[in-house]
Amino acid sequence: MTDPMLSVTGLDVAYGGIAAVRDLSFEVGRGEIVGLIGPNGAGKSTTLNAIMGLVAPRAGDIRLAGTSIVGRKPEDVARSGIALVPEGRRIFADLTVEENLRLGYAARRDGDSAEADTDAVFELFPVVREFRSRHAGALSGGQQQQLAIARALVARPDVLLLDEPSLGLSPTVVDVVFDALARVRERGITVLLVEQRAQRTVALADRSYVIANGELRLTLTPADANDTAKMVAAYLS
Amino acid sequence: MTLGLLSISWQVIVDSIGLGAVYALMAVGIGLVFGVLRLVNFAYGQLVMAGAYALAFASEWDLPLVVGIAFCFAVVIGLSLIMDVVVFRPLRAQSPAVMLVATFAVAFLLQSIALLAFGPLGKAASSLGSLNRPVTVGDVDIRKITIVAIIVAGICLLLLVLLLERTTMGLHMRAAAMDFRTARLLGVRADRVIGSAVLISALLAATVSVILTVQNPLVTPDFALRDTIVVLAGVVVGGMNRLLTATMGGFAIGFVSGILGGALPSDQSQYLPSFLFGLVILVLLVRPNGLFARGPGPVERV
Amino acid sequence: MSGRHLTQLAGPLGLIVVAALLGSVASNSTEIYFINALVAVAIVVAIYVFVGNSGVVSFGHISFVAVGAWTAGVLSVPVTEKPAIMQYLFPVLRDHTIGNVPSLLTAAAVGGVYALLVGLPLMRLSGLAAGIATFGVLEITHNLLRYYEKVGPGTNTFSSVPETTDLLQAAIGALLVIGVAFGYQSSRFGRLLRASREDPAAARAVGVSVYQQRLIAFTLSGVLAGFAGGLYVHLLPINSETVYLDLTFITLAMLVIGGMTSLWGAVVGALAVSGLDSLLAEAENGLTIGSLTIDLPAGTRLVIVGALMALVLILRPGGITGGREFRLDFLRRTHPPAPEEPTP
Repeated sequence: MTDPMLSVTGLDVAYGGIAAVRDLSFEVGRGEIVGLIGPNGAGKSTTLNAIMGLVAPRAGDIRLAGTSIVGRKPEDVARSGIALVPEGRRIFADLTVEENLRLGYAARRDGDSAEADTDAVFELFPVVREFRSRHAGALSGGQQQQLAIARALVARPDVLLLDEPSLGLSPTVVDVVFDALARVRERGITVLLVEQRAQRTVALADRSYVIANGELRLTLTPADANDTAKMVAAYLS
Repeated sequence: MTLGLLSISWQVIVDSIGLGAVYALMAVGIGLVFGVLRLVNFAYGQLVMAGAYALAFASEWDLPLVVGIAFCFAVVIGLSLIMDVVVFRPLRAQSPAVMLVATFAVAFLLQSIALLAFGPLGKAASSLGSLNRPVTVGDVDIRKITIVAIIVAGICLLLLVLLLERTTMGLHMRAAAMDFRTARLLGVRADRVIGSAVLISALLAATVSVILTVQNPLVTPDFALRDTIVVLAGVVVGGMNRLLTATMGGFAIGFVSGILGGALPSDQSQYLPSFLFGLVILVLLVRPNGLFARGPGPVERV
Repeated sequence: MSGRHLTQLAGPLGLIVVAALLGSVASNSTEIYFINALVAVAIVVAIYVFVGNSGVVSFGHISFVAVGAWTAGVLSVPVTEKPAIMQYLFPVLRDHTIGNVPSLLTAAAVGGVYALLVGLPLMRLSGLAAGIATFGVLEITHNLLRYYEKVGPGTNTFSSVPETTDLLQAAIGALLVIGVAFGYQSSRFGRLLRASREDPAAARAVGVSVYQQRLIAFTLSGVLAGFAGGLYVHLLPINSETVYLDLTFITLAMLVIGGMTSLWGAVVGALAVSGLDSLLAEAENGLTIGSLTIDLPAGTRLVIVGALMALVLILRPGGITGGREFRLDFLRRTHPPAPEEPTP
């Protein structure tokens, strides 16, 4: 039986003395989209940060295709094939769009040219091609979000992590982003999506986990997306 | 020629440009390391001092010029790497105040070691003395070393711009200076970026020590100490947060220092430091983020 | 609360008393080290009053020591001796001499005024800008004192100043400075400033004027530093180089090694480093302990103190005391002290 693409077991992360994530365990299968939803401060971002090696877990294991990646430096995690689209986009405003993309090449694992991947992201996000020579700071919030995802994708990752991509975006742009995620799944990339927009996430993802207070509370499937009562209960538990 | 109330000769102007050029190189060295490590290296001058001592010993041992310069570069790079491992990396998590005092301590430590090892009297580094002779252009005597300094600084800065703008490592360094965390998330290797910055910074320090030993062949433990303090002030005045503004600040303070030195009447000339630092304080009060910085700096660390 | 609070003072005061007692039974040649150490305490505590409470690094405090030393020195040299080392003095300085204690008080006053004038513009700055600006003050003060011969000996050494700083005076001086420092940090002003050190944004939000509080501390530390400078000039012959970079470095080293953020740290650091420095100075002259002779080359002291300072900052930025004040309950060990985050 093949290993899941990404597996988190018994994850325990604390900041100072305060536990942010408690005994969290879940799996993401190859080519799946899995959602992590929940209220603010629930520990969703912390989970992503722990996977990327930005914060060291107190306990627990994180495995990428069966190999443990706990303790690796962030750049090494990136070079192992996991890309994170951080909260707030974090694009480099003083660099051009093109340069932002070129930064994404740093994590590529194969030596051959990145043109194919670059063309692919231009197709997913035409606005990125349109603005390629402009400074990234000149782009709107929605355009920056697309750039951030594009930048992660040119690394040709096996796993794509996204931390609240729809934050602060207009509904039209949210559509673009979620459509892109669906197409990303079609290319076989595994996606772990942290989001506040519970309904859309639950509808899109193969599986969604509700995290509250650092713990996994509930698992939802797309069938539950329209079940308001269940959704509300999940958040309020 | 007269510049308002000050009467300044072309001689002074050219010399000031030369000083500005050297200070600009030092500013880049300091600014590069600050960009990636957010650390102000008070001890940068000690790298220049070490290079100068290397040249002095090369002189004493009668080594050929090229070997001497190579030795100088080797010593400066070696010391830089040691500083990086022993001082910079452990300090990275500390507050700016601690980093400032710590590098100040390292600066003093290195100076004391030099005093202990080599004594206070100084050694002569006389390899390139011929460059001290002047070339006469019109009615102005320009020392060859001033011309060399300006040309070398120009070439170094050009190479640096090419490196930063055109190469991948340069792109990584620029990104790391803007947002190291995100850069690492994209796969930028922290070690390599920091190592490159430290290396380039060391190369610049070695270059500066070669140039300065021509102008001041006597190498003492406090060699370039005064210059480093002035350059640091210039970098902060120019704007620490961006390499361009830091370099401009370094050049500006060198240039102004030279002009003031030439313009002050001789009975006031010993007060040059007071005028210079008075000016520095004034600028800092008006523009604490830097003279050339555009808009407010990053979130003010109160 | 105030009972326990006052016990914080017991440590620093106790150490001074012990040092003074040890000094009084020491031989004449070693007594000077104790006096030196006590004057060092005065200087370092003066610096701590600002740097420790505000969290802003100042490289310029030795300026106030220098100004105090100049004031006390110029005023105490007997009128007949003045022309020898200070030919160009202003008449008012040249024609008068005052006694020891008045000279110390005047030194304190002048130090305070100078600090106030410097602080008025500078206290708006923080971090790197403050560091460079205060360094500038050090440079300017050094430059002026060195060359402006109307206010002092210029490049000459202050040689005819009556050497009135004996063990008793140094001890009393140190005790005074500690007392004032403790009084300040316990006062509302001190607490407000420390609050702003921990969280400037929050302090501002509740209406604390960070600028004002810093200015108060800066001026007070100038008064104390000026006073300490007066003690210093009456101790040994100094010149413009003695109160410049080396002294800046060593007093900062003392503060850092002891613990930047507490009075206890300042006192411990000053005494510990002075002690070490004196020991090393003896070793540089050839020191025999039992059957072991140590003869260190000149200049080793600075290297060792420098290395210590760098090591402390890299490995244990809180210093020997960890930035904590003196507590008596270590004797009882009923509960471990809450670790104070030394965020300078």
